[in-house]
Amino acid sequence: MGALVPPVPIVGAGAVSAHGRGWRGLGQILTSVRCQPTPSIELAVSHPGTLSFEVESLTAPESVVEKRARLLMSRSAVLASMASAAVLHDADWREGLEDVGFYLGVGASGGSIEQLTALLAASVRDHELSLTRFGEEGLAAVNPLFAFQLMNNFTLCHSAILHGTQGPNAAFFSRGTGTVVALLEAAHAVLGGECDRALAGGADSSVHAVTWAELVREGWAERGLVPGEGAALLALARPTASGRALGFLEYVSVTGHAGLDGSGVDAVIVAPWGPPARESIAAFADAVLPGCPVLDVSMVLGESLAASPALAWAVALDLLASEQLARVVVVSHGLDGDVGIVALRSGAV
Amino acid sequence: MKPRAVITGVGVVSPFGVGTERFWDALAAGASAVGPIRSFDASCFPTRVAGEVPVAHTSAAWMREHQPESAHAESFSAWEGQGMLRDRKVAFGVLAALEAWRSAGCESEPDAWLCLALGLERALLEDFAPLMQEGQIRWAREAEAALPGVRFRAPVDLTARLIADTLGLGGPRVVHTSACAAGALSLAHGARLIERGEAALVVCGASDSMLNPLGIGGMARLGAPSPRHEPDACRPFDRRRDGLAMGEGAAIFVLESAERARARGAKPLAEVLGWGSTQDAYKATAPRPDASAATRAMVRALERARLDAAAIGYINAHGTGTPLNDPAEVRAIRAAFGQVAERIPVSSIKGAVGHLMAASGAIELAACLMAFQQNILPGTAHHRERDPECDLAIIGESPRELCVDHVLSNSFGFGGQNASVVLGRCA
Repeated sequence: MGALVPPVPIVGAGAVSAHGRGWRGLGQILTSVRCQPTPSIELAVSHPGTLSFEVESLTAPESVVEKRARLLMSRSAVLASMASAAVLHDADWREGLEDVGFYLGVGASGGSIEQLTALLAASVRDHELSLTRFGEEGLAAVNPLFAFQLMNNFTLCHSAILHGTQGPNAAFFSRGTGTVVALLEAAHAVLGGECDRALAGGADSSVHAVTWAELVREGWAERGLVPGEGAALLALARPTASGRALGFLEYVSVTGHAGLDGSGVDAVIVAPWGPPARESIAAFADAVLPGCPVLDVSMVLGESLAASPALAWAVALDLLASEQLARVVVVSHGLDGDVGIVALRSGAV
Repeated sequence: MKPRAVITGVGVVSPFGVGTERFWDALAAGASAVGPIRSFDASCFPTRVAGEVPVAHTSAAWMREHQPESAHAESFSAWEGQGMLRDRKVAFGVLAALEAWRSAGCESEPDAWLCLALGLERALLEDFAPLMQEGQIRWAREAEAALPGVRFRAPVDLTARLIADTLGLGGPRVVHTSACAAGALSLAHGARLIERGEAALVVCGASDSMLNPLGIGGMARLGAPSPRHEPDACRPFDRRRDGLAMGEGAAIFVLESAERARARGAKPLAEVLGWGSTQDAYKATAPRPDASAATRAMVRALERARLDAAAIGYINAHGTGTPLNDPAEVRAIRAAFGQVAERIPVSSIKGAVGHLMAASGAIELAACLMAFQQNILPGTAHHRERDPECDLAIIGESPRELCVDHVLSNSFGFGGQNASVVLGRCA
């Protein structure tokens, strides 16, 4: 059911993570002993001492994101814009972008905490929200375009606006699996002729005070989940006889592993949502791909929510493109309990 | 031959109340439900009218009132106890899904997918209030869980989880978050899954409510709603239009293959024939002036449906009633349909129910079903004065009786996401 016939060429990638910009070399971090979370800067006020995998300097060059545009953008939108600029450059897609499709897994609202605080400070009296003050003073205390930071589809739209991609598109909320659905739909859009080229991936941040507060309440911090953030995108192109490819997308499924060809798989890369999911995926790997080494990217990238599966694909692509591996299965497991399975193989045939 | 996707069930919660019949009857009568906001005190807000579902607070009792036979009454109470019904779209989505499920005659479908469009999570600002001290949020108290009742926001996918649990859907749950285009995209996604043979049955559609302080306030800051606090705040394609009216509600559909529906004796309400999506990639704050991307969405939908433009008997416009959007959509329709554009009836139901945001595309597709079930095309509430910039065959305030075989519905989202869907009459 999940097999893609023919396999879809991956002709470029872009990534931003705690390990910097770029996807090449991400495979090395899996074996790096120095890769540990550091005290979060973003959560220093709200949750001091929290360790995270955070993108250190999120100030994108103005060639990618103009200052005014930044006012409209959430942290996730900035991450997506950086990754989309990188993937378009990597794929050497400079023209004809009006037909490029764009399918993205996105997270919850990630508006500026400073703006939210200003809104509340002007609206709360005696520890109670006053709707009168909210209407008369609170709204005036925030950037008029604050709503654009809150709309999570803008994680995709800002990138489209910046780069001019006008093809078929959709944003999927993801706590893991939505991002895999984005890849699945992008692959079918390319195979089905809706577009010749498409971007697919995810962008998200869990080092946002409200997002992390909710995860803490839900007990994820206690269970060992380490917050992270990032964005990763793959450039998919319609299969051609002579096209070059960094790798091929062979299989994408969110409904189990029926039809997955397990032969010749060198490794299973997993992106679990905390330790329970890690155990679940490990059991899956043992049952479906016995004997395969299992590499856990969440240990070195943290939990980047909607971005986690996409970052794992970028790691897999690096291992394929650098010819360390020839065939990889990436398994992600979200809070929603659904499992996403993606199989990639090397571009060298 | 690819399976053909048909709609076999529909459920609606609208500003007219709970139920598809009530929604269709009101539209057929040319009624409008936009009025003063009652679910919270909006008297000091820049926007004070909306298309509001007639309930002050969504509660277990209200849900039971509309589902008296429901085996889910205990669940409703549990959800209320856990604060889940504070986000109004949760109750709307579940009630619409139960109606759609019942009308499709479904019982147990353990592999069914859910493709649901949802709006933003409800920001629970009132819960922040106890944490405010000297103009700052005292997050630490929350981190230490000293205030267990505090919620900062409802989970984005909560409605999807509860619908899946309530209906017993065991397949993947997909949440579309493409703003105002999301509802249409969810139906298109469902149809695509049926065509590809990946799903035998898909529950799709949308639920949304931004009728809360931050939702109303945020949109008002953008300047999108009409500044007038009148029931005719939204006047699509009217020369005097000055902004949208916000709305809330849900529309849920059951999709399956025509063959499967026939085998189990289900009566299809319509066939999903085609769809197209594009991105304006222009500005966050305005539609692309040449409307070229919106035009391509319609053209792609027609191509996928394998229909000539002349085959479309009705266009359900996005028609927000804003000064820029309506003429841009008219330009797009003209470009996509060419000479036949002038004679295709066009209407927007947003004057009657408001702009349901993520749910707008879904509820407008539910309105399109009237064309096949009742031979009625809904009118455009509060459209009284023609605008030379919007000179199409706009259906005025009164609905029109007409038998058509194919309809096209447009949904154009904040951020530039465009979606068009073509539905066809089933024999």
